[in-house]
Order: sequence, then C-alpha cells, then structure tokens
Amino acid sequence: MALVRRSLRFAVACAALGFGGTSALAKTLVYCSEGSPENFTPAINITGTSFDASRPLFNQLVEFERGSTKVIPGLAEKWDITDGGKTITFMLRRGVKFHSGVNNFTPTRDFNADDVLFSFNRQWKDDHPYHKVSGGKYDYFADMDMAKLLESIEKVDDYTVRMKLKEPTAPIVANLAMDFSTIQSAEYADTLMKAGKPEQFDQIPVGTGPFQFVAYQKDAVIRFKAFDKYWNGKPQIDDLVYAITPDPTARLAKLKKGECHVMIAPRPADLEEIKKDTSLTLFSQPGLNIAYWALNNQKKPFDDKRVRQAFNMAIDKASIIRDVYLGAGQAAINLIPPTIWSYNSTVKDYPYDPEKAKALLKEAGVTTPLEIDLWYMPVQRPYNPNAKRIAEMMQADLAKLGINAKLVTYEWGEYRKRMQQGEHMTGQLGWTGDNGDPDNFFFLRGCAATRPGGQNLTKWCNKEFDDRLVKARALSDPAERTKLYEEMQAIMKEDAPDMTIAHSVVFEPVRAEVVNYKISPFGRHQFFGVDLK
Amino acid sequence: MLKYLARRLALTLPTFFALMFVTFIAIRLVPGDPVEVRTGERGIEPERLAQFRHELGLDQPVWKQFLDYVGHLMTGDFGTSVVTNEKVLKEFFALFPATIELSMAAMLLAVSIGIPAGVLAAVKRGSSFDHVVMGASVTGFSMPIFWWGLLLIMLVSERWGLTPVSGRIDLIKYYFEPVTGFMLIDSVLSGQSGAFTSALHHLVLPSIVLGTIPLAIIARMTRSSMLEVLNEDYVRTARAKGLSPFRVIGLHALRNAMIPVVTIIGLQIGTLMAGAVLTETIFSWPGVGKWLIEAIGRRDYPALQGGIMLISSIVILVNLGVDLLYGTINPRIRHGR
Repeated sequence: MALVRRSLRFAVACAALGFGGTSALAKTLVYCSEGSPENFTPAINITGTSFDASRPLFNQLVEFERGSTKVIPGLAEKWDITDGGKTITFMLRRGVKFHSGVNNFTPTRDFNADDVLFSFNRQWKDDHPYHKVSGGKYDYFADMDMAKLLESIEKVDDYTVRMKLKEPTAPIVANLAMDFSTIQSAEYADTLMKAGKPEQFDQIPVGTGPFQFVAYQKDAVIRFKAFDKYWNGKPQIDDLVYAITPDPTARLAKLKKGECHVMIAPRPADLEEIKKDTSLTLFSQPGLNIAYWALNNQKKPFDDKRVRQAFNMAIDKASIIRDVYLGAGQAAINLIPPTIWSYNSTVKDYPYDPEKAKALLKEAGVTTPLEIDLWYMPVQRPYNPNAKRIAEMMQADLAKLGINAKLVTYEWGEYRKRMQQGEHMTGQLGWTGDNGDPDNFFFLRGCAATRPGGQNLTKWCNKEFDDRLVKARALSDPAERTKLYEEMQAIMKEDAPDMTIAHSVVFEPVRAEVVNYKISPFGRHQFFGVDLK
Repeated sequence: MLKYLARRLALTLPTFFALMFVTFIAIRLVPGDPVEVRTGERGIEPERLAQFRHELGLDQPVWKQFLDYVGHLMTGDFGTSVVTNEKVLKEFFALFPATIELSMAAMLLAVSIGIPAGVLAAVKRGSSFDHVVMGASVTGFSMPIFWWGLLLIMLVSERWGLTPVSGRIDLIKYYFEPVTGFMLIDSVLSGQSGAFTSALHHLVLPSIVLGTIPLAIIARMTRSSMLEVLNEDYVRTARAKGLSPFRVIGLHALRNAMIPVVTIIGLQIGTLMAGAVLTETIFSWPGVGKWLIEAIGRRDYPALQGGIMLISSIVILVNLGVDLLYGTINPRIRHGR
C-alpha cells in the first residue's frame, strides 16, 4: 500500500513538473460505474454492478471470450466430456499465482484443485465452514439448478478436477463461465477463518485475475492495480479506478470532461449528442434479453394456433420499437437474440396485417367483440422500458379487430407469481440471459416449465419442440445442438405460443483514447486487454 | 439549566418512539420485501423464499418484529444490512462524515451570504437591491434540487470547465486512505500537494446546490426579522444617541434579530438532510443520503430504519442545541431562571 502511495506521489510530482502527465508513467483507466457492490464474492451477489466490481480480480474455470458469448478456457486449460455427457474432467492451468500483499496475505502456493473444490463446495454444502459466512445466500447457484445437476465434484490430483452430473447437461459448461463460478483462494479463506475474520474474505478480495485489489470506499471509488504475475500476461493499463457515479447525466458529463474513460448506461435521450461528439465512441449491441407477450395456450381461444397467429399479426411491432424503445430496441423475431449462437436467421416474423388477422380469427370461429385480459409488469425491466405503454398500444391495435383488452397489473412479486400460476389470458414479461447458452432461453418454452409455478408463461407444450430441447441438453457437440435449436425456432414461430416483442439494445460510450474496448453481450465490463492511447 | 435539559430530553422520547413506529410500519407498507426484491424474472422456489424470510425474521407477526426491533435498539443494536451484511451503525458512520462535510459547507455558504444579504435588504428596504434579494430568494426556495444540480453541472463544469463534475477528489491524481472521513482534512493529512485544492473544488457545486434553499430561507428570515427590530424604540434611541449606523445595525439590531434566524438555521438541518439525499445522488457524494435511497430500492429494512432513526436523532439533538443557544444570544430567555 505504501509503495502504491509513493509511486502515485512520484507520478503526481512528475505531472506537476510537466513530464507529460501521469499517463506517461502510470496509465490509469477510470470507469464510471453506477453503484456500489454488495461485496467482492460473486457467488453471494446478484447484481451486474457487483459482478463488474469483482471481475478484474478473478477467473473462472472456463470464461466467456471478451465481447462474445463463446466459452473459452480459463483456469482450466481444457476439459473432456465423457460418460455420455455425465462426466466433465477439467485439466487445470499450472503456475497460476494468487494476488500477494492484499490484507497482509501472502500465498504460499499456486492455484490448484483445492481452490476449485472450495469455491463450489462453499455454495453447495450446508456444512461447509464458509457456507453461512456473509449471509450465505447463493442465488445463482440455486437459480442455475446446480444442486440438482451436480452429483459430485472430486479432486483427482492437484491439477485435475472431475465433475459428475446426475444427467447429461451440456449447458452446464456455460454455467461455469458465469460469475457465480468464480474461483477463490482456499488458502486465504483458511487463513482468515483461523484469524477469526472470515467475513473479510468477501470484503477484501484475493484472486488470480489481471488486477489486484487496492481499496474500496463505499459509494465513492474502487481501486485496482495491474497484477504483474497474471497468468495471461500483465494488463496494459497500470491502475484501474471505478468512479461510482449513480446519475447518468453526471456520468456523461464526467466522460466528456475526461474524468472517466468508459461509462455504463447512458440515457437514451443523450445518444444523439454522444454520436456527434468526436471525443467519444458509441458502442452498441442487442442485449442478451427478450421481451415477450405470452398467450396462455391453456385458455380459450389461445388453444387455437390460428388465434395466436392472428394476435401476432394484429400488433404493430415497429411502432412499439419506435415509440417505446426510442431506438434502443430491436424487433425480436426469435426468442433468442442474434448474439447467441444457433440463432436462426431464416425465420421470418409475422407481418403487421390486421386484415389477415381478422380473417384468421373468423376462420378459427372467434366472434367479436372478444373480451380478453392483457397483463403488464408494474416495473421497468432491462428488456422493457415501459410495459404499460406497450400494453396500451396493443390495446389500441386489438380494438381495431373488435377485441377488448382489459389491462391488468399487480405488484411485481405478485405479478410473477400469478402469471407463473397461469392466471392470465395474455401478459408481458421477458428474460435476461445468464450464460449465453440457447438452452438458457428455450427452457422458457419447455413442457416441464408449464407446471403451475413454472417459467413457461405461455403454458404451451409442443412435443416436437420439447423433444429437441431435451435432446440438445444431452449433446456436447455445438454443431449438433445448433441444428436442433434452429429447428426449434422455426417450430416456435409457426406455432406462435407468444409474440416476441424486442431485444433492448445496450449502448456504451467510451472516450476516443480508449483502445481495444469491447462491448459485452452480457452487459459485462472487462478491462483486461484494454489500453489507453 | 440541567433541569430544563432533562425535561427537554424526556420530551424527545415520545418523538423517538413515534419515529421508530412510523418508519417501521411505513417501509413495510411499500410493496415487496428484501427477499422478493432480490429475485428477477425467474422468481424463487417457495422453500427458499420461506427460508430467507425466516432468517430475516419476516415470517413473524409484525408486532413481534417490532418488539424485537425495539428490544435490539434499546441495547444499541441497529441490526445488520440485508444487502451487504455489514452492521448498520458501521455503515452509517463510515458515510456520515461525507454528509456532515457537505452539509456544513452548504450551511456556511447559506449563512455567510444569507445573513448579510438579508440585513442589507432590510436596511435598504424598497430599493432595487431589496427586490433582487427577495426575488432571488423566492427563486432559490422554489428551485427543484435535482434540476438545479444538473443545470450547474452542465454549465459550470461541462461548458465552462470551472469545477469538476462530481466526486470528492481527482481520482486519477490523488489517492490516500481516509483517516477522518472528511476529505478536506484527509487531503491535508495526506501531504500530497494539490489534494486540498482538488477536494475544495469538488465541494463547490454540491454545496451551492444543497445550500440554495437554506440560503433563501435565511435571507428572507433575516430581512423580516431585521425590519421588525429596526422599528423598535431602542434602535431609534441608539440612532438618536448618534451611534454609527454600523454599530446600530451590527450590534443593537442584528443581535436581537438573530433569535428567529437561529431557530430557522436549526430547523434547516432537516432540510439539509432531505436535500442531501438528492444532492449526493447527483454529485456521486458518498454520504448517508445516497445510502438511504439505495436502501429503499432494495427494501433493506434494517439499514433504512437505522438510518432514519440516526438522522432523526441528529436533527432532534441539533434543535435541542439551538434551543439552548438562545440563552447565549438573548439573556432574557436564559433557561432555568
């Protein structure tokens, strides 16, 4: 710490003497983030803000390639899937160092299998010494059904870990690239436990990542410095600073003034101004999400495919994208966004055609006026800026066909619960992807999820679709899985269990001097590999 | 005096209890609880929901939860944040210096401009200066803080480049560990040249924004109070004695006119705390106001209850202090006589 302070002082002195500023000596990248992390252990966190704060510090066994959803080796150099997809053996990378000097901890050994076992067992085993530390809520481990999928995790030797699964589940490899699967130091954990300060484990982090923790002041700043012994090479920037700036207008003002180099979440109203500013570059990408309008297939008249198709044609989707998303949205043709592998670009969306919709309804024997309900969420979501406005636009479109849609909403928790019970006739919701695997979206239309309380809000159970969904889970070859998922998208569009509304578009402005920044489909912020001119 | 103090302190007890009760009930009337707010589209398995609610004591009847809460509070235990698992007291006092620093700067600004402006306006009653001051104070008083803050950022920082946008210090140039939590003091202690100036620069805009409403109120109050006093016989006598206008106004009139102004200043502590919630959010100021806003969003019951109780206690105590101060200013109402 003292060393950092001295070197900073030196840098400041040099800057004052006109030696070309601090950048010539120490490259400092400032990221204007939106909030404070809960702590620095991703396994017990749920927000993107917290994950971003831990990301510079850690690695996972496998990781997402920066800027894509592709899974690449991380702390595991390679892995074999055997036993019909029920066993995954990870060969761990050798010579990986943990950060030294943080919280007076000096590691005595390199990363090995013990760290992997520690990181998963803490979340999985109730009797693990760290299970109850810091509240002991492992939301993602539970949400990704890890406890239901895992049979065992064993250490074969120091550099080999074997994971046995209860049933073949290919998407689990993508789960292991998620933040909750972060690998932490078992030795550091032991040291703190012996010292009677286990909660510090989650507050003063030690990892294997490209940057080492320096300091955190709640609601103000997080400081990191480059880890020169990083297994993948030293980062190009020396100091990484997260300036916590909750207001988006203030963030943009800071970015423009050069007080930060990268910012999260600009206001849609500011996008035009950002595009005009030559000192900034605006990155954009469809988010890993979907907003949809579920038609309850178990309720009349939505048990008839023609009615569902007619509803798809009755709504002017382009107007919704234009007026509600204000340009920050892309019309969704499939359930998965185009950034996810296996996206079927040959699928065509239903056109906006009220006349044809009318004819289809007539053919299905639906008489008007028809009374339906249309549920909308009471809250703004990343994929849907204004569900009520969308509902009103849909209501107006439906009225033209003689359909009277009654708008319904409940408190957010109650809303989800009632929709999962299938109380609605039609209703909006959406999904934000977790791991970039197609299964992470398609399970939302699987038969298993149609049970009351399940996630399939269309209550649509199509055997052709579901057989492929289950089959794809057991396959490890991406090419074979791609084929099945492409077919599923075609089946889904034809059978129209819902209307896919939009994928919101994520925007990220960065300063022009930032080199090699990549926007992530997950909305992650990663600074390893980024440089400053 | 001591008897008075004891009586006043005893009188604050029902206020504390009412506060405790209202805060406790109000936050529970807001839809959604800390567990539900954590869950996204996926929802949560009923068993896990029940388990979490049990751990947080939310499965108990509300009256029992309240009694438990009061019981803990009596022993000085404000609970643990549901979000960060940190003790509420520890979090509060880590952030509180930033709020005090900002509030004091804002109050200093308000008093040092508000009182002279009010006095001058009263002395020059009906002049164009008087109209300008009164017009400006009405505008200042009715200014929405959020809008005012953003406007100043856009003009002063972005367009004219006179001040930094937000934060407490230049993060690229300076780094030191907090000692007192007051950036102005810590920057001096750090020994880094330029750090204090940077901290001071960062304080300018937020204190203007936070100080605007108190400034407007203080200026108006000073003016009307001065006008009243200036018509008093003793002022006329002082003038008749041939005292200089400075002595008449500064010594005889102002001292008496200050009594209602001091009351108002005391009451402004509440306004400052309320204003801090917005000002801290706009200027990324790591104080308790911003912390409370987040606690509401995440339904962090312990943090919210504890934070409101602590802030209210401070407001009540400051007002008590102001009451005691009257005696110093005006010996006629010295307590215990």
